[in-house]
Amino acid sequence: MIVKDAVCPFCGCLCDDIEVEVEGNRVVAVTNACELGTTKFMGEKRLKNPILRDGNEWKDITYDDAIRYAADMLLSAERPLLYGWSGTHGEAQCVGVHMAELIHGVIDNTSSVCHGPSILAIQEVGHPGCTLGVVKNRADLVIYWGSNPIDAHPRHLSRYTRYAEGFFLENAFRDRKVIVVDVRKTETANIADEFVQIKPGGDYAVLSALRAIVQGKTDTIPRTVAGVTREQLIRVANLCKSAKFGAVYFGLGLTMTQGKYKNIRNAIELISELNRHTKFTISAMRGHYNVYGSNEVNTWMTGYPFGIDFSRGIAFYNPGETTAVDILARKECDAALIVGSDPAAHFPRKCLEHLAEIPVVQLDPYPNATTAFCNVQIPVAVTGIDAEGTAYRMDGVPIRTRRVLSTDYLSDDEVLARMYALMQEAQRS
Amino acid sequence: MSFLMITGRTVNQGVTVENKTSPEYAAETSTCFMHEFDMMELGLDDGDAIRVTGPCGDVVMRAAASLEVEMGTVFVPYGPYANHIVAAGTRSTGMPDFKSHVVEIEPTDEEPKLVHKLMEDLGGLAYDR
Repeated sequence: MIVKDAVCPFCGCLCDDIEVEVEGNRVVAVTNACELGTTKFMGEKRLKNPILRDGNEWKDITYDDAIRYAADMLLSAERPLLYGWSGTHGEAQCVGVHMAELIHGVIDNTSSVCHGPSILAIQEVGHPGCTLGVVKNRADLVIYWGSNPIDAHPRHLSRYTRYAEGFFLENAFRDRKVIVVDVRKTETANIADEFVQIKPGGDYAVLSALRAIVQGKTDTIPRTVAGVTREQLIRVANLCKSAKFGAVYFGLGLTMTQGKYKNIRNAIELISELNRHTKFTISAMRGHYNVYGSNEVNTWMTGYPFGIDFSRGIAFYNPGETTAVDILARKECDAALIVGSDPAAHFPRKCLEHLAEIPVVQLDPYPNATTAFCNVQIPVAVTGIDAEGTAYRMDGVPIRTRRVLSTDYLSDDEVLARMYALMQEAQRS
Repeated sequence: MSFLMITGRTVNQGVTVENKTSPEYAAETSTCFMHEFDMMELGLDDGDAIRVTGPCGDVVMRAAASLEVEMGTVFVPYGPYANHIVAAGTRSTGMPDFKSHVVEIEPTDEEPKLVHKLMEDLGGLAYDR
């Protein structure tokens, strides 16, 4: 059987033109997806049933027992942390927020270690963004800043920018210019019309220099700024000003370096400056396929996008204090529920040392690095493969992922809803 | 020698990310991409083991020459090896300094550990059924 127009649940591009060939209970071929998406669809070696750590060994347990364990763990914790959420669908994220409120816990998603700083900047100065379709059809200048789509979002270039057709561009490949700004000469830099190589940590200075040039204060620019020559800065500023429609896509090269959200703020302010001359937009290259969704769901349910602390009985948000890395590093939480992410692979070791000391339950289809720190792991269906649900693309467009396989695994929202029902029942009695 | 360590996504890291117990994932995330002149300075060949020491400890990786990085900078695909030496401070933003750590690199005779072993060293229990 061939499933057409399946949605790829890997990165924030949420490509919705995938063809998946299924034989029995297995995916045997994938067409149109990139290497990352294909491997995810073809993924095997799933955990077969819930497991419980018993001293120095692992035991198989039932779903009922695993769900009961998780509910009891969360109910008896004084400061539970509910972390992850970007690798699951919106319906499951909703249950997570309700759960966090019920037990006065902290709920944080992976954006605190990816585009959290971008959101902080957007809260300060706004987000002049647009959908990917608008860029595809109109943009004659695309800038990738601190992002490397060839490795991280491989089809972004072919679906929306470098190699895409554009309705309002006669010959998109010729008429659309691509600029790459990075500290490394990445594969993406190799296909750019202009590569701007910045010294590490120099993004803020280069953004400020471009803002000055766009404002007509070229005289104030020194001979080089963070390794970039004055001539190149002037050339880039002129390319931007003379574009009919420009789009900037920035990545973790801006959020994870010195300055963090101030880099993004400066980039957004450069875009406001450019909008005095022409039309320009800026957007984040979101990583997990539904990390944008977890920000959306959290925001419309609590008012805040990530790092939400319900310990006061109301939603409280203070990144740096209520975010997962900080809470773990301060050894503050006394239980953790992990859903749709793998903090043991992606958090600094100090956080893992605390995870090893507290009860942890994880919902994940595969054994991963966090499994080693779990008391219980519950395997779930993979959204977009054997579960369906809503995900938000990197430009904020909600897309319903499809189920291409039928398996006996419960989905994240089914497991969480059962957990939540047990917790509500316990609270009532 | 001191280097600036940058971490980030690579295609191979992304392809193996759903199979973190695989040797391929361990091999990719324990690779330290360096400028060939820096490798020459340290007397390293492609695939040689190196000890990378950061603010929170050290970890053994393998060096690989790359045209993408500048001298004085190294790139490590993100994962458990780089994070073994990354500090947890976030400067009140929630975000650690994943792309701006200064590390010391020296040749070593030790082999990189498996992901399981790294997790067990920190108090975890590997699941490998």
